[in-house]
Amino acid sequence: MNIDDINLAYKIRHALDEQLDHLPASTVDRLAAARAAAMARRKPDARAGFGWHGVGAWFAGPAVSRLAIAVPLLALVIGMGGFYQHEQQQQLAALADIDAAVLADELPLTAYLDPGFNAYLESQQRQQ
Amino acid sequence: MATDKELNDFLQNVERRAFKQAVYAVRKDESALDIVQDAMIKLAEKYGDKPAAELPMLFQRILQTTILDYFRREKVRNTWVSLFSGFGRGEGNDDDDFDILASLEAEQGSAAAESSADQVERTQTLRLIDDEVQKLPTRQREAFLMRYWQDMDVAETAAAMGCSEGSVKTHCSRATHALAAALQAKGITL
Repeated sequence: MNIDDINLAYKIRHALDEQLDHLPASTVDRLAAARAAAMARRKPDARAGFGWHGVGAWFAGPAVSRLAIAVPLLALVIGMGGFYQHEQQQQLAALADIDAAVLADELPLTAYLDPGFNAYLESQQRQQ
Repeated sequence: MATDKELNDFLQNVERRAFKQAVYAVRKDESALDIVQDAMIKLAEKYGDKPAAELPMLFQRILQTTILDYFRREKVRNTWVSLFSGFGRGEGNDDDDFDILASLEAEQGSAAAESSADQVERTQTLRLIDDEVQKLPTRQREAFLMRYWQDMDVAETAAAMGCSEGSVKTHCSRATHALAAALQAKGITL
């Protein structure tokens, strides 16, 4: 576009701006109300939930929403703790069983340290 | 992120222009007000955390989408109305052939086209300019208004319109030439 075109475009812009001043009062009021409604429904800060600012916002929120987040989180932590304890008990029980079997066996423990005994066991397995 | 004041100031700055843009498109003041309100709420709700510099492009994009949604709803509504009324619009106006851009470009004789002999010359000139802007093909009008009325640069306008920067320049150039020719034909000198 040449200079004349751009000048014309800005003159038209000026004319259009001039018309905006003559909008009916009801229209202007309605636009202001629309703006107020939009501001009231503004998206909350996206940073909420991250960092100290988010923590502060979380504690400042309504009690019901805090509970809605805290209760499932607490249940999850308790559940994971219980699962960990159960696994630990299972491992201990399995080790105890092995220890009991070894101690109750007629074979002395020192036999497992003897290389000759290991060679004997391997040869027995091959024969089977 | 834009502060409350920045967002409020931005909306206050663009609301009247957005209203006129919507009126140019839908040609009904009440519908245009609804569209602007929807666009404002969508911007605040979904993009309220964006930087202030991004707001013009985002708002224009939302506004154009909301206008298109309005036409889609109108199309569906017209389909049902014509289906049940028994007074269809005739075979030549089948909804399958509905083209927003074509219909907007061709339509004339709206309320905005009226002129009043007893108005002062300046008011009459402004009204004529308003008419000529409204008569522009939709894409040309969008590009022209965004570039020269909303102060958006070529890149922002292209992003808001979902087209290339070259297309924006072409639309703007054609719009300006069309307006110049139309105003000259009516003896209007700016």
